[in-house]
Amino acid sequence: MIAGARQGRLSGLRRLTALAMARDLRAFLVPGPEIARAHGLDIEAAGLLRVASPRHASVLLVVGAIPPALREAAAIVYAQMVRPRALFALGTQTLSPLPAADVGARLSQDELVEGVHRLRRAFAEGAFRPQVSSFDTPILHVRIQYTCPMHPEVIRDEPGTCPKCGMTLVPHETRAEGGSAHRHHHTMDSGTPGQAASEPGHSGHPGMDHAALVQYTCPMHPEVIRDEPGTCPKCGMTLVPHETRAEGGSVHRHHHHTMDSGTPGQAASEPGHSGHPGMDHSAMDHSAMDHGDGMFMSMVEVTRDLPRSIDGLAMDWIDVPFGPFFPGLPGGLQLMLTLDGDTVARSAAHAQRDMEPLLPAPDLDPVRFVSRLTEMDPLSPVSYRLLACRAMEDAAGAEVPDDIARGRVGALERERIASHLGWLALFAQQTGLGWLMGDAAGLQLHVRHADLKRLMGLRPALRTLTRRLRRTPLLKARTAGLGRLAPDPTLRGPVVRATGIGADARHTDSTCAMLGFTAITRTGGDALARLFVRVEEITHSLALIETAGVVERPEPADTGEASGAGEAVVETPRGEARLQLTLDKGRVSAARLGTPSMRHLELVGPLTEGQELGDALVAVGSLDLSPWGTGQ
Amino acid sequence: MNALEQYGLLLGLAVGTVGVVLSLYGLARRIGKVRREPGKDVPATAGQLSRDPVWVRYHARYYGYALLFLAFDMEMAYMYPWAVVYRQEGLVALLDMGVFLAILFLGLLYGWSQGALRRQ
Amino acid sequence: MTTLLVLLSLTVGVYLVAVLEAWTTNGHFRIAAPLCSALALLGRESIVPRKADRIFFEAAPILLLTSALLGAAVIPLAPALIVTDLATGALFLNAALAYVLVALLMAGWGPDGAYAMVGGWRFLGQVIAYAMLIVMPIMAVAMRAESLLTTEIVASQAGLWNILYQPLGFVLFFAAAMALAFVPPFDLPTAQGELAGGVEGEYTGVRLAVFRLGRMVLILTLAAATVTFYLGGWQGPLLPPWAWSAIKTLAVAATMLLAGRMMPRIREAHLLAWGWKLGIPLALLNIFLVGVLVLVLP
Repeated sequence: MIAGARQGRLSGLRRLTALAMARDLRAFLVPGPEIARAHGLDIEAAGLLRVASPRHASVLLVVGAIPPALREAAAIVYAQMVRPRALFALGTQTLSPLPAADVGARLSQDELVEGVHRLRRAFAEGAFRPQVSSFDTPILHVRIQYTCPMHPEVIRDEPGTCPKCGMTLVPHETRAEGGSAHRHHHTMDSGTPGQAASEPGHSGHPGMDHAALVQYTCPMHPEVIRDEPGTCPKCGMTLVPHETRAEGGSVHRHHHHTMDSGTPGQAASEPGHSGHPGMDHSAMDHSAMDHGDGMFMSMVEVTRDLPRSIDGLAMDWIDVPFGPFFPGLPGGLQLMLTLDGDTVARSAAHAQRDMEPLLPAPDLDPVRFVSRLTEMDPLSPVSYRLLACRAMEDAAGAEVPDDIARGRVGALERERIASHLGWLALFAQQTGLGWLMGDAAGLQLHVRHADLKRLMGLRPALRTLTRRLRRTPLLKARTAGLGRLAPDPTLRGPVVRATGIGADARHTDSTCAMLGFTAITRTGGDALARLFVRVEEITHSLALIETAGVVERPEPADTGEASGAGEAVVETPRGEARLQLTLDKGRVSAARLGTPSMRHLELVGPLTEGQELGDALVAVGSLDLSPWGTGQ
Repeated sequence: MNALEQYGLLLGLAVGTVGVVLSLYGLARRIGKVRREPGKDVPATAGQLSRDPVWVRYHARYYGYALLFLAFDMEMAYMYPWAVVYRQEGLVALLDMGVFLAILFLGLLYGWSQGALRRQ
Repeated sequence: MTTLLVLLSLTVGVYLVAVLEAWTTNGHFRIAAPLCSALALLGRESIVPRKADRIFFEAAPILLLTSALLGAAVIPLAPALIVTDLATGALFLNAALAYVLVALLMAGWGPDGAYAMVGGWRFLGQVIAYAMLIVMPIMAVAMRAESLLTTEIVASQAGLWNILYQPLGFVLFFAAAMALAFVPPFDLPTAQGELAGGVEGEYTGVRLAVFRLGRMVLILTLAAATVTFYLGGWQGPLLPPWAWSAIKTLAVAATMLLAGRMMPRIREAHLLAWGWKLGIPLALLNIFLVGVLVLVLP
C-alpha cells in the first residue's frame, strides 16, 4: 500500500509492470548517500539502486531526522517523482510537509533490508490503486503577484496600476511562501533581486511623475536622452523613463530572448513586440505592453549595458540551484549558481539552520549535552562527542587517565579514516569514477565500527585503494589547478594543510604527540593536493591507531558538581573545531561552537566564480564541507 | 537492390521505428494517464523549484574550435570520393590531397597560435 | 528477410549491451535487469515538463533511436547479412550518426530545464571535438579498401586486420566512438555527478525507456562499426561468421563500457584541446601513413 500509487485497477499488463517495479527499485536519497554511509547503511546491498535525478526514482529514502528547510526541499523532490512513488523513512517520523512514510524503519542495516522487502511487496500489490489523491503542499505553488517594473517594492495580488508612477503592473511568478522570488535573468546588479527592471519600452504611461533623477530615453536609440516625456526624434517612439547609468544600467535590457534573437529582423512579425529582436516573454504576460513601431535594434545596442564575460561577449545568465540534494555534493548544502553558459558567474552557498540550538535549555545535563553534540553532525559524530567531553573535563578540571586518552585518539583517528573514505566516495560519484565509489564506500562501512584487529586487517585493502588511486589515469588532469587557495592561516583541516601550512589541532594534544603524530602537508592548494592530503592522512591515521593500541568511543567523565569555564579543540576530519562552555554546578549553562565548515563555506564564492561548471563543482566538493552544525 | 530500393528500405526502417515507438507510447498511455499534480512537471533541480525560463542566449565557449571544424568538415566532404579512387590514381592523388591537407593544417596551426584553440 | 534477421540479431545484441551496461554501472550481473527496468519504466508515468518545447522534447528520443538504427543498417554481420549494402555505406553511417547531435541538442533544449540545457550545449562542444576523429580514420580505412561499401571494407582486411595496419587510426576512432556514444568518461551531456542526469534527467517513463534504448543501440552500432572497420568484421577461424561478429562486437562494447569506470569524467576544455591539438594532427598523420602504405604494398 503506497500513497503515491497510480490510478487504475491492478490487472493484466499493470500487474506485470508492478512486479517489474518491485524488482527494480530506484531510490533517491535525502539528504544524501554520505549520510546513509555515515549511519552505517549500505543502500546497494539492501537491493536499492541509487539514482541522481528524482525523476528516475521510485522511492524517496529519507535517512535520519532532517531540519524543516530540508524537509520542504524533500517535499519538492517528492512531488517531482513520477508515480508510482513511495516514501521510505529511516530513523525519523517527523516528515511534514512530506506525506506519511509508506514504510518506516530504524537506522540499522537489518531494518533497512527488511524495509526494502516490505517496499517490494507494497509495490507489487499497491502500485496501482483505484482511488488516489494528489500530493499538495503550499510550497509547490506559485503565486502570481503583480509588480511595477519601475518600483520593485510595489507588490499587489491583483492587476492594477502602480501608485507611484501609474504604470500597469506586470505579473510575476513567486513562491507561495516568500523566499527567493522569481528573479529575472538579470545581469545588472541593481540592488534588488531583479524583479523589476527588466521590462523595456512601455509606451503609454499616463501621468507618470518621476523624480528628477529619472531621465527619458528611447529604447531604440539609447543616445537620445531627455528630461521630460516625449517622442524620440529619430524613430518616433514614446520615450521611456529609466534610471541613470550610475545606478546600475538601463532597465531596457531584457534578457528573455528566444533562441532566434540572433536574427533581428524576425521580431517584426511577433504581435505586440515589433522592434525588439525576438524577445520571448514566455514567463509573463505582456499584453499591457505596446511598443512603438518597429525599428531595427542591433545586438550591439541590445547588449550595450550588460556585463561582459572574459571574451567580451555579453550573454544571458540563468540562476540554477545546485542544492540541497545534488549528487556529488554534500546533502543539505544550498548552492545557487548563476551560470553564464557553462561558466559560473556568481555563486551563493549556505547551510541550513539546525533543528534545535546547541543548548536547547539554559541548564543542561552534561550527558544530554554530549549526546546533543554527537547527533549534531552525522558525518563526524565521534569528533564532536570527543570535543564535548574534553571541553567539559577542561571546565571541571578533571584529568583523563592515559589509556582512556589513547582510546579516544584511536576512535578519533578511526573516524578520520571513515570520513576521508566517505569523501572519496563522494568525489568518485561526482567525477564518475565507478570503481572508487564502490571501493571507498565499502571500506568506509567496514572501518566505521571496526575494532583494532579488524582495522589492521583492512590495512591491505586501504593500501590497494590508495595505490590504485595514484595510478588512475586522468585524475591529475581532472583535479590539478582547480580550486586553488593561497596559504591562509584562517583555514582549517586538510584544506589548509594542502596549501603548505601545517596547522593541526593535534599538535596541542600530548597523547597524539606521544603516538608519533606529524601533520601531513602538501603544496599547491588545489583540489589535487587536498585529495592527496586526505589519502595520506588515511595511512597516517592507521599507523597512529596501531601505535595507540586501543580504540574506545569517548565517554564523558563524571564532572560532579564542578563549575567553571572550559575550552577544547579537536581536529575533526574537516578541520579544527573549538568549543567553549561554562559549567554551573555540574550542568552546562553556556556553550559556543566553531566548526571548520563555517569558515570554508565562505570559500565557495571565490573558488567557483569564473570556473566551468564541472570544475566549480569539483572545487566545492574538494572543500569537504559539512553543512551540519554550521548554524550555531 | 539498386540504390533507390535501398534508400526506400532505409526510409521504411525509419518509419517503422517511429511506428514502434508510437505504439509503445500508446501502450504506456493505456496503462494509465498522467496525473496532474502541482510541482510535478517543473524541471527537477536538486530540491528547489526552478521557475525561470532557461531559454536564453547560451554562452558557448568553443566557437574557436567550431570555426576550424567548419573548414575541416568541408575538406572531409571532398575526401570521401578521393579515398575511393586513391589507389588507382597513385602518387598524384597523395600529392594533391597532401597539398590540400597541408594548407588546412597550416590553418590549424595559425589558429592555434592565435588562441582560437582554447576555452574562450 | 535479411532485414528481419538483422533486426533480430540487433535486438539480441542490444539486450546484451544493456546487461553489460547495467553490470558496469551497478556492479550486478543480472540477465533479467534490462527487461525488468524496461517493464518498470513502461508502467511509470511519462510527463512532459511545463512550458517545454513539445516538438523537441518528443522528437529527441525517437530521433536518437532512429539515427542509431539507420547507422546499424549499413553494418554487415555476415557476408550476406546486412540490411542495405549501400555503395556509400561508410559515408551513410557517418551521416546517420550526425543526427545523434541533433537529438541530444533537442533533448537539451526541449525540457526548459537548466541541467538539460547545459548538457545539450556541452554535447555540441563534444561533437566538435570528436567529429573529425571519426571521419578521418574512416577515410584511411576506405583508402585501403578502395571503396565505401562496408562489405568491401571487411573483405579488404582478409590479409591483415586494420587494427594492425593502421593502429593510430584505431585508437583515434575508438576514442571518438566512445565520445559519440557519450559513455563515461565522455558522458558530459548526461553526467550524473555534474548535471544530475543532464539531458536524460527530465525524461520519465516510456520516453526514458526509448531514450535509453536509443543509447544502447548507438553503443552497439558504434561497436559494430569499430569491428567492421578495424577488427575484420566477420572473419575468423572455426566459428561461423555471425558468431565472430557477435563476439567481437560484444567485446568492443564491453571494453567501451568498462573503460569508463576507470577514469574520471573528462573536462570539456581538455576534450576539445586534446582532440584538436593532438587528435587532428595524428589523424592527418594516419592518413598520410596509410596513403604511403597503400601505394607501396601490393
